[in-house]
Amino acid sequence: MAQIFTVTALNDRIAERLEGDGRLRDLWLQGEVSNYLHHRSGHRYFTLKDKASQISCVLFKSSGATLAFEMKDGMNIMAFGDVAVYRPQGRVQLIVRGVKEDIGLGFRYLQLEAVKKKLAAEGLFAPERKRPLPSYPERIGIVTSPQGAALRDVLKTLGAYPARIILSPAQVQGEGAEESLALAFSALRGRCDLVILCRGGGSIEDLWCFNSEVVARAIAGCDAPVISAVGHETDFTIADFVADARAATPTAAAKLAAPDVDAIKQAILSCRVRMMRALWTAHERRAERLEYLKRSVSARRMAAIATDARQRLDYLSARQDAALVQRLKDSRSKLESICGRLEAVGPAATLQRGYAIARSERGLLLAAGDTRPGEVIELILAEGRLICRVMECRSEQSGAQSEGAGER
Amino acid sequence: MKKKDGMGLDEALESLEKVVQSLENGKMGLEESLDLYEKGMGLVRLCEGRLASAERRIECLTGELPSDLQPSQEGEGDRGGDRF
Repeated sequence: MAQIFTVTALNDRIAERLEGDGRLRDLWLQGEVSNYLHHRSGHRYFTLKDKASQISCVLFKSSGATLAFEMKDGMNIMAFGDVAVYRPQGRVQLIVRGVKEDIGLGFRYLQLEAVKKKLAAEGLFAPERKRPLPSYPERIGIVTSPQGAALRDVLKTLGAYPARIILSPAQVQGEGAEESLALAFSALRGRCDLVILCRGGGSIEDLWCFNSEVVARAIAGCDAPVISAVGHETDFTIADFVADARAATPTAAAKLAAPDVDAIKQAILSCRVRMMRALWTAHERRAERLEYLKRSVSARRMAAIATDARQRLDYLSARQDAALVQRLKDSRSKLESICGRLEAVGPAATLQRGYAIARSERGLLLAAGDTRPGEVIELILAEGRLICRVMECRSEQSGAQSEGAGER
Repeated sequence: MKKKDGMGLDEALESLEKVVQSLENGKMGLEESLDLYEKGMGLVRLCEGRLASAERRIECLTGELPSDLQPSQEGEGDRGGDRF
């Protein structure tokens, strides 16, 4: 019953079965390269492995001529090819016809997803954790390689912006990069207003350290806001998620970190112009007001004042006239009353009663002795007068008569 | 964080903006607005001074800077960067 095979016949049989299986043709195999040998014949021999298993692979010269990159041990690749049996050694292997770099779908990708999940669960990616970036940082920390182009891009873009720049060197790829980055962050503690974490573009493996939990925690624990700019626009790392801001490139990070000096100068200039304008506007407003007041005063206001004054003058002069008339009236009646009284006591009334006033050239005659016989004297009567010559002067008799003619 | 020799650029710019806004408000008297204008111009000079005199001082926490980043080759000033 049992069939007896020769070794060759068995290997032929195995090969026939495996190579006849359509599912083992034109397949993609994903794994990590090891035991890589580029033989001088031009063929490439290597092993692909994952955590638990491995398989031999060969890439013949004809297929490998168009290879876009050189494989090396430790590299994750995707290999395209067919399963075959190498009969001389009875070895199952993959005849590789095409190779491409594994862009993150491998074991590491699973690891990455696990770390991401864990950190997300802790809330390290939460938007509310993000700190605002200072508008005018005075001390900018940079975590990167001193040799990298990223550092030069950042410095160039910061340009003349006046800040202290503190470089905290770190290894940004390869073995020990994670710890180096974490250390660089702790060295900046208390020294910066802002930290830029940057690295230029590279393969996904080169950037891998930025996916580590250690670096993620270093960023989260940094006492200043962190801008992460790792790789190119299309590269996203965990560092980008944890950082307070993500920039597509180191240049973009620098732009985000500090305002453009020219823009600040422009802003200052604009402030100057606005101040001048405000001052000028206020001046013009005052000038206009002055002009308005001036016009009011010179025209309407002065006219009003004049009218007022004139009215007042009229009023006063009217009052004055009335007072004057009254005073005249008063004076006249007073005069009349005095005249009356004067008439009563004056000589006229006495003369009316029959008395006469006698006088000579020397004056009033009050006594007979005041004249001499033969002298011409005048007698004033109530109406008219008499010119008389004295006949005789008698001193005692009829003296009363002559006295009565006197003035009193 | 504050500079020992007065306000920083951010603070100065902020004050300047406030001064300008007060002036634009135009509610104050002539004397007051002239004083404010003086103050504003002082801030302008301060900001411009900060920008002009500021040295971009690069320092390295461990070891020396690569030679291409040394101040003399970066076109930096030579005044030693006493500020910023």
